[in-house]
Amino acid sequence: MKRAGAGVERALFWALALAAFAAAAAGLLSRAIDRVAANYDIGRSAYAIVRVIAPEGHDGVARAAAILQSAPHVDSAAPMTAGRAAALLGMEASADIPALRLIEIELVQSPPGADVAGDIIAALAQGGVTAEVVGAPDDSGGAGLGGRIRNLAFWGAIGFGLIMALIVSFSARGLAGRRREMVTVMTDLGATGAQAAGRVADEAAMLGLFAGAAGCALAGALGVVAILLTTPEASPEALPRLIRPLDLAPLAAVTLGSAIAAGIGARTAALSFHERAAKIG
Amino acid sequence: MARPNPADLELFRRGIMARLTMVDSGYGPSTVLVGVEFEARLGEVSLVTGPAAAGKTTFMHLLRLALPIHAGRAVILGEDVARASPKMRALVKRRIGYVAENPVFIEHWTAFENIAMPLQLAGKRSTDYSEDVRELVEFVGLGEAADLAIAKLSGAERRRAAIARALAGKPDLILADDPTAGMSPADGRRIVRLLAEMRRVNAGVVIASQDETLADCAPLNHWRMDRGRLSLVSEEAEHADLEAFE
Repeated sequence: MKRAGAGVERALFWALALAAFAAAAAGLLSRAIDRVAANYDIGRSAYAIVRVIAPEGHDGVARAAAILQSAPHVDSAAPMTAGRAAALLGMEASADIPALRLIEIELVQSPPGADVAGDIIAALAQGGVTAEVVGAPDDSGGAGLGGRIRNLAFWGAIGFGLIMALIVSFSARGLAGRRREMVTVMTDLGATGAQAAGRVADEAAMLGLFAGAAGCALAGALGVVAILLTTPEASPEALPRLIRPLDLAPLAAVTLGSAIAAGIGARTAALSFHERAAKIG
Repeated sequence: MARPNPADLELFRRGIMARLTMVDSGYGPSTVLVGVEFEARLGEVSLVTGPAAAGKTTFMHLLRLALPIHAGRAVILGEDVARASPKMRALVKRRIGYVAENPVFIEHWTAFENIAMPLQLAGKRSTDYSEDVRELVEFVGLGEAADLAIAKLSGAERRRAAIARALAGKPDLILADDPTAGMSPADGRRIVRLLAEMRRVNAGVVIASQDETLADCAPLNHWRMDRGRLSLVSEEAEHADLEAFE
């Protein structure tokens, strides 16, 4: 069967593919933000600083560091040097920094609800050291920022995807418009609304599926390039390790969503054409 | 869905394909047809003639269930049109073969594909119907033009294709709105005879035309439409034989 207006349909295909590309890119970006935020959360919760209050002087810091090596939740501990402090504060290494009573500690993964700071302070107190823990994970003071960013990225991508679905749906109405004569003929021949609209919707859904797949392929390729350019340890061989199955979920969702949105848009339009053709008076 | 009235179904079983009783109808709120009384029976041909804008096309739209009824009662193929659900109307439409004044086709499909569409809608496979459609194509005299895109056919060929499509689903009621428009008198008479032949295959036939002279080219009931009012001019002679007109 010869297809008329293939040029117009090709343009429609690419319009749908562009919308699918945008939605898939947003989905992949959301996954990237999610992973960066998750890593940030892990890094943040695995690090803390202990400030030694008593005994004062180098001995107090050395004793605290020794106790911390075997304290609960602590993986490793190291007194903060003046050079390290200068680097953290963004100052010149030669800057005049007073003697520090700070110890950097790496924490092991603790069960939720654990009082990490309290346990460390108690362990130090048993060894005769008074100290406070700065930046140990708890539910206040900025903790959960990563979670909020992850939520924002997820729902942002969903919202953007829905807007793109709306665009796909309205574009598919254009296809139904081009099939109006078919709907009219089918109606005249006794097709029910479901039959006439179903035929047009099937065609639109197939177009949406292929356009969605094309858009997702482009977004996926762009995503791979972005990973290779921005991740230090990335290489073509390392990609299967770097990309998790969940990262591909936006691509699958957008491909399927394009087909559904196109089908729904075309079906709605075709049903209204059928209604008008069925009753001219 | 409203259940079919047994009395209406009985009408159909008795061979009454359409019965209109004091029907008013038209487009939207405006009434075009007034107090129409009409009956089309199995094996009979009804010719409705009248001047332009008399209401013939509106009458055909009414018979093909495309217009609402403002007053009166219309029973078509055993269904009370006013009470029928949209789905039931679609099912009744499937049993009506309609040749429009300006037939609408899927222009980029071939004539063959357009003609076969009622059979596709009925869920038949192309292997099952292709021979029947070829026969129809020959019957209406479309010949090799059937394999061309419908957009490439002449006006007369499109009309033949429309007739073939109307007959493809073996309808109970055949409606033809001005089927001879734009044809030579000889071609027009041939088309009307061809449509009249359909009465032999368990169908009722209704033809609308401005051409009064068509009344003598086949045995038929002649009706006249004037300003939305329909009147019977002459009834088909009993036992009239089509061959006598040829």
